[in-house]
Amino acid sequence: MLIGPSARRRALLLGGAALLLGACASATPAPAPRAAGEPPKPGPRPAAYQSDDFIVTFAQAGDTAESLAERYLSGADKAWMVEDYTGLRVFTPDQEVVIPRRPWNPAGVTPGGYQIVPILTYHNLGEQAKGRLVLAASSFREQMRYLKTNGYRVVSLADFVEFTRLNRQLPQRSVVLTFDDGYHSFKDFAYPVLKELGFTATLFIYTDWVGAGRAALNWNELREMAAAGFDIQAHTKTHADLRRAQGESEAQYARRMQAELEQPQELFTKNLGHRSQILAYPYGRWDEGLLPKVKEYGYIAAFSVRRQGNASFVRSLAGHRSQIYSEMTLDDFVKNLNVFQEENLR
Amino acid sequence: MRPAARGLLAAAAFGLALGGCASLGGGPSEPGAGSAPIARDPLAARHRQQAEALERDGQLRRAAEEWKIVLTITPNDAKARAALGAVQARIDQGVIERLDEGRKALARGVQVEARRKFLAALALDPSNRAAFEALQSNTREVEFIAHTVRAGDTLSALAQRYYGDRSRSEVIWETNQLPPNPRLQPGTTLKIPEIPGVPFVHPEAPRRPAPAVAAVPTPDMPRPAPVAPGPGTAPATPPGAPAPKEEYTPEVNPLLAEAREAVDRSDFADAIAAVDKYLAGKPGDRDGLTLKKQALYGQAKSQMDARQYTESIQSLTQLTRLQPDYEDASALLKQARTRNIEMHYTQGVRFYREEKLKEAIAEWRLVLDMDPGHANARRNIDQAEKLLKGLEQRMKK
Repeated sequence: MLIGPSARRRALLLGGAALLLGACASATPAPAPRAAGEPPKPGPRPAAYQSDDFIVTFAQAGDTAESLAERYLSGADKAWMVEDYTGLRVFTPDQEVVIPRRPWNPAGVTPGGYQIVPILTYHNLGEQAKGRLVLAASSFREQMRYLKTNGYRVVSLADFVEFTRLNRQLPQRSVVLTFDDGYHSFKDFAYPVLKELGFTATLFIYTDWVGAGRAALNWNELREMAAAGFDIQAHTKTHADLRRAQGESEAQYARRMQAELEQPQELFTKNLGHRSQILAYPYGRWDEGLLPKVKEYGYIAAFSVRRQGNASFVRSLAGHRSQIYSEMTLDDFVKNLNVFQEENLR
Repeated sequence: MRPAARGLLAAAAFGLALGGCASLGGGPSEPGAGSAPIARDPLAARHRQQAEALERDGQLRRAAEEWKIVLTITPNDAKARAALGAVQARIDQGVIERLDEGRKALARGVQVEARRKFLAALALDPSNRAAFEALQSNTREVEFIAHTVRAGDTLSALAQRYYGDRSRSEVIWETNQLPPNPRLQPGTTLKIPEIPGVPFVHPEAPRRPAPAVAAVPTPDMPRPAPVAPGPGTAPATPPGAPAPKEEYTPEVNPLLAEAREAVDRSDFADAIAAVDKYLAGKPGDRDGLTLKKQALYGQAKSQMDARQYTESIQSLTQLTRLQPDYEDASALLKQARTRNIEMHYTQGVRFYREEKLKEAIAEWRLVLDMDPGHANARRNIDQAEKLLKGLEQRMKK
C-alpha cells in the first residue's frame, strides 16, 4: 500500500521547510503568506511607507527626481539622492520609488569602483580666446551648458572638502568649479552664466593682485561675489612657488611662508570677515616639506593642478585640479569629467 | 495514512531541522501590525527576494539596504530584522578581515595591496572611518608603468599614447618632478602613473587584472610594472630570467597580440586558445605565461559572476598551478569552492522539497565529495535514505 500522496507531500514539505533552515538562507524564498483558496486583494495603500532609512512611495503623473525630493526630502536640491539611488530622473505614474532618507555611501566606494570628483580650474576669460589662459566667454558658456544638460551637479568646494573628511556624501556626478587669481573677467563673463545655471564656484585670489588694476577684482567686488554665494579662498600673497628654493635657509623659508600663507589670512579677515581655509598652490607646485607650513597657518585643504579627479580619500592637502585651457575643444573638456574609477573591489 | 509512515516522516522532518542557521530563512513575513498586509506583502516580497539574491551574490551592503527597505514596508517583519542583523554581522566581519589584511600589507610595505584591501573594506561599509583614514594617510602609491625615454619622446606624445589625452602630460610632469618645459633624455625612466577615471589606452597595458608578476618594460610594449617595488612585491625582473638585451623589441607576435586583444574585450576563452597556441611554439615564454594568467584570472572572475562555480574552480586551479600567489586567486578559489558547495547543498534542498529524493541525495553526495565534513549534508542524506527506504518498503507491500 502506498502512502497517500497528499499526506506524503505535506510531510515532505515539512521536512523541506526544516531543511531550508539548514541551508543558511541561500535557499529559495518561500511564497508570501496567503489564506488558502483566497486570491490576493489589493488593500488600501498608503501614499508612502517610511522608516528612518527609506521612503517607499509611488510616483504620481509627471513626477521627477526634483518633485519627489521636494515632496519627501528637504527640497528639490536633494533630487540627486532620488536620482542616484534609483538611477532615474523621471517616473511613470504608480511606479514604485525608493528614496533614501540619509546618506548611504559617504565615501563613494562600491564593489565596482569608486567615485571621483573633477575640480576644474579656470583663469581669465575674454570676448575672444587669447593665449592658453584667456578662455573665450562663448567656450565657457558652452562648457557650463554641457555640464547642465549632461546631468553633472556643480557642488561647492566646501562640500567637496567635507566629502574628503567622510562627512558628506556627494552626488555621483559632482563637479567643482574654481577660478584662479581673481580676474575681473570672472564678474564680467563667468558670473552671469553661473547665475543663470545656478552653479556655484570658488575664487582663489592672490592678495597682491586684488585691486591691482582694471583686470583685477577689488575687495568690494569680492565682497559682492561672496554675497552672491561665491566662495573666496587663498592663492597666497604673491603667487610664488611655495617650495623651498635652493639655497634658501630654514629661517628665510619660514619668513617667506609666513608672508605667503599668513598675510592673506589677515587680509581675508579684514575684508571678508573670515580666514581662508583652502589654498590653491601657485603653479600647482608643492612638496612634502611645504605641507606642515600649510597646516600651521590653518588651511585644511589645498590643491595642485595635477590633471585628475579626486577620490573621497584623497590627501586633503594634496587635492587635484584640472586646468581648462583656451585651446581645448569641447571633447577635450569632456575628458576632464570622469566621475568614476572602475576597480573590482569585491 | 498509517501511523508508522507518519512517524518516519515526522522523524525525518525533525532530524533535518537540526543544524543550520535558522535565522536566515526566506520564510513568509509577518504582516505589518494592524495595517493592510495584503497591499504590503507583494511589495515587501519583491524586496525580500532582491535582498536574498544580493546576499547570495555576495553584495552584502546592497542586501542590507534591501532588508531595510523590506522593514520600511513591513516594520514588524521579525525575519527580515534577523536577516538584516545577520547581513550586518557578515559585513562587520568582512570589514575587520580586510582592515587586518590591509594593515598586514602595509606592514610588509606593499602599499598597492594595502590600498586595495582598505578600498574593499570601504566597498563593504562606505562609512568606515578606520578604512577611510588608513587609505587617506597611509597609502600613497598607485600603480604605474615604467617608460624608458626614446629619442623624440615628448610628454604630450606619451600622454596621448598612455591616456589618449595629450593634456595629461601634466600628470607625468608632476609625478616625475620635472622642470618646466623639460627635455627628455633618452634612456632615462619615467613613471607613468595610473590616473583614476582614465584607463590606460595602451593595448599592452590592460588595467585589470594587474599582473602580479611584473613584465619587463620595453619601449614598445610597456606593461604595468612597479618601478620601485617595495619588499614583498615581485621584482621587475625575476631572478634567473634573462635581462632584456635589445632596447627595441621586434614587432609583437600576432598570436600574442590576438590574445591581448581578446583579454581586453573580456573574451577570455579566445584569449586562452590563442595564448596556448603561442605557448605551444614557445613553451615557458614569460610574455605568454603572463598573459595566460591574466586570461585565466579574468575567465575565473566572469565565471564566478555567472555562478559557474565548477568552471571557475577549474580556471582558478589552473591559475594557481601557474602561480600560487597570483593576485587574490587562492582566496577566490576558496570562495568559488564555498559557493559551489552552497549551491549544490541548496539544490539538494530544492529536490527534496520536490520529492525528488534520489536527486537530492546525489546533490548532497556531491557536497560531501567537496567537503567531507559537511555535517548537514551527511545528516540530510541519512534522513533522505531512511525515508526512501521506508517508501520503497511500503511500495513492496
